[in-house]
Amino acid sequence: MSERRAVVSVEALSKQFQGGIGRRAKRALRDVTFSVREGEIFGFVGPNGAGKTTTLKILMGLIRADAGRATVLGHDVRETEFRRHVGFLPEAPYFYDYLTGREVLEFYARVCGVERARRRERVETLLEWVGLSHAGDARLRTYSKGMLQRVGIAQALVHDPQVVFLDEPMSGLDPIGRKEIRDLVVRLHAEGKTVFMNTHILSDVEMLCHRVAIIVQGEIRYEGDPHAMLEGEVRDTDVVLTGVAPALIESLDASVQGGLRGVGDRIELRVPHKAVGDLLGKALAAGAEVVSVSPRRATLESLFLTAVEQGGRQ
Amino acid sequence: MSGIERILAIAGNTVREAIRHRVLYTLVFFALALIGTGVLLASLSYVERERILQDVGFAAIRVFAVAIAIFVGIHLVHREVDRRTIFTILSKPIARSEFLLGKYFGLLVTLWLQIAVMGAGFVVISMLAGAPLEVAHAAALGLVAAEVAVVVSVALLFSAFTTPMLASLFTAGLWLIGHLSRDLRALGAQSESDVVRRATEAVYRVLPDLSAFDLTVHAARGLEIAASDVVMPLAYAFGYATLVLFAATWIFERRDFR
Amino acid sequence: MAPLAVRGLIAVAAVATTVAAQASLPVVPAAERPEARASTLRFGRLATLGFDALVADYRWLQAVQVVGHERADLVAAAPALATLVEAVVELDPWVDHPYRFASVLLTHSRDQVVRANRVLERGIAYHPDDWRNRFYLSFNHFFYLNQAEDAARELERAVELPGSPRYLGRLLARLRSEGSGGLEAARTYLEELLRQNEDPWKQAEYEKALDEIETEQRARFLDQAREVFVKRNGRDIQSVEELTAGPSPVLRELPPDIHGWGWVIDEKTQQIVSAYYGRRYRVNLHPIDLERREQFSKQATGSEEGESR
Repeated sequence: MSERRAVVSVEALSKQFQGGIGRRAKRALRDVTFSVREGEIFGFVGPNGAGKTTTLKILMGLIRADAGRATVLGHDVRETEFRRHVGFLPEAPYFYDYLTGREVLEFYARVCGVERARRRERVETLLEWVGLSHAGDARLRTYSKGMLQRVGIAQALVHDPQVVFLDEPMSGLDPIGRKEIRDLVVRLHAEGKTVFMNTHILSDVEMLCHRVAIIVQGEIRYEGDPHAMLEGEVRDTDVVLTGVAPALIESLDASVQGGLRGVGDRIELRVPHKAVGDLLGKALAAGAEVVSVSPRRATLESLFLTAVEQGGRQ
Repeated sequence: MSGIERILAIAGNTVREAIRHRVLYTLVFFALALIGTGVLLASLSYVERERILQDVGFAAIRVFAVAIAIFVGIHLVHREVDRRTIFTILSKPIARSEFLLGKYFGLLVTLWLQIAVMGAGFVVISMLAGAPLEVAHAAALGLVAAEVAVVVSVALLFSAFTTPMLASLFTAGLWLIGHLSRDLRALGAQSESDVVRRATEAVYRVLPDLSAFDLTVHAARGLEIAASDVVMPLAYAFGYATLVLFAATWIFERRDFR
Repeated sequence: MAPLAVRGLIAVAAVATTVAAQASLPVVPAAERPEARASTLRFGRLATLGFDALVADYRWLQAVQVVGHERADLVAAAPALATLVEAVVELDPWVDHPYRFASVLLTHSRDQVVRANRVLERGIAYHPDDWRNRFYLSFNHFFYLNQAEDAARELERAVELPGSPRYLGRLLARLRSEGSGGLEAARTYLEELLRQNEDPWKQAEYEKALDEIETEQRARFLDQAREVFVKRNGRDIQSVEELTAGPSPVLRELPPDIHGWGWVIDEKTQQIVSAYYGRRYRVNLHPIDLERREQFSKQATGSEEGESR
């Protein structure tokens, strides 16, 4: 994949937002550099407020960078013409709710310069594609959040773009809605489109993305293979036991011992996810009582820290 | 020419949004009611009743046309930003200037439709009351439409960079000053100081001269209207609105949509 | 959208259009001449925010309500009415009726009449083709202010305006006869009118007026004869015929009355009049009018003293 040309290229991008009167300016991006290759699903990952949306808005020409350079399909993002090859779904999109699904797509098709003759056909295809054919004549104010998100994807695709930018496409949706959007993203990829996706949900990254960049506090901390990154995710489980005999403690292996804290006959253990069954078996056999077993999911922050420790940028 | 197609798309959608807006109908209804109350007011006088009737009607049209221009205009622009619909539009192959122009023409067509509706109410009332209707009445309404073209451009200018509240205040303020700019200039011209005279003259040149668009008195009095009384204000409105739209575009193109 | 050069061109064209158009906007209303000012309400005008006509209508309706009130005390209300009407014509000089409304109601003091005249002058400036405002102004000058010359001047212009009634010419001749030029001025004026005018109805009127003047001249001749009679005989004549009677008559014969009705002494005024007219040629003033004129002229000297102090 690495030989493919870069569809999005961001070099040393910086942005500072002016605060109001008497407020300090906020630095949103510092020296951000990464690139997206043709045909891949690229995850732009970071906690809320890290600068994901700011970066995406710079790419969409909604915000101007203070310094650095960003190109999409080889064009400076301040141009407008190249956007006929770019689709964009903003976070929690809102559309003209006085329009029907069909009207809104026709409007966007017109703005995108889709020829009148092809417009209707294109709109019908898209409604079908995102599964909204039945709701095409209903006003958007009657739509559910998931339906709106699908309209959002449809409007991003109305002019058949080569690259699609999605800002938090799964946020605020129920599990079924999220699955539908995931399926759409996979289909986009299958159709040969490059997908750029902002997200803070790791499982989505894990399932969908070929490559990721991680941004924390306006700085890129990692760019590369998500699986390599996720291997660093240590999924631990906290186990609390009482009535523990000293013999049991000694029998536990060294890796567990490191995460041991004891107060009297009560101990708290942090063990790798895979070792939990083994531990509980031993503990019950030794007559200990299990107070609680709570899996610890890695937070993004901790994950990012690990990612940085493990070598930062590749 | 796809730029024009895009401008038309935005304009068409703006008209559609405005037309599906309930507030608009309320405002037009009030305007029509006010035009109707002219009949009552006129009945208080024993002479020149038709004149009073038409004064009230014209005033209602002017006030409501401008009020709708300011509040609906600013509201519709701000809504695009506030509800983030502008994100999806500006990410399309459309220049910001095209978006702004599309909004402008959409608003203008909406307002002109309103003026047409209110004008129809005016005509009906005038006919019922037996008041004269001349070409001058059409010219007066035409200049109200031109005034609105200037006011909407100013509303867009302000909503390109400030909050809707402030934009409404600024636009309403500029409208008021625009109706006084001649008087201010006349006051300044009486000054002893050369600086004051030049300053007021300069201020007069920069501020919109909105009293140029008021031919309603001429129409209601049956005064003679020269062609230049109509053509020059139209040219002035065209030039002034174009310049204001330039400024609005300049600001709008530099704005960050956070 | 458009390349920079195109934008630049449009901007330059827009600036040029705006400046050129604004330069030729009718900035000063056509009739805004100094004499057209009724009262200066410049700042009051700032408060109408461009709705001058509407505010003028409102003021007018207020004025109408004052007058229309059942127990309206028009003498007491006159000053307020003056203010209202002044506001009306200031804000909307193209009104029609309010100008005369003012002159009819503002008659209770010399100051009121002067104010009414200012209002009428503004009306004349904005309705230069309307004879009525000039007629009312002339009326005020003559009846209230005892200014025959001014009255004649205004009426003279009114006579020339379209739609003015036929009798104005004769009225004007009478006013003229009371001015410094006397009967001769009135005659000259009427002969001029007769030459210029082609309307047979008006011509007939002017000829009648000339007859009146001729009659008046003859009556004045008889007055002189009467004075001579009184000097000679130490008593007044009993009848006009006495002037030609007796051994040494004052006149050999009486000048003929144009209409052939003869001369008589009017019982009330004891003046020699043509029996055809029954009265002498002059503008008729009721004693009440004369008294008011007297009173107003005192007000004038009073106010002048006040001003000089």
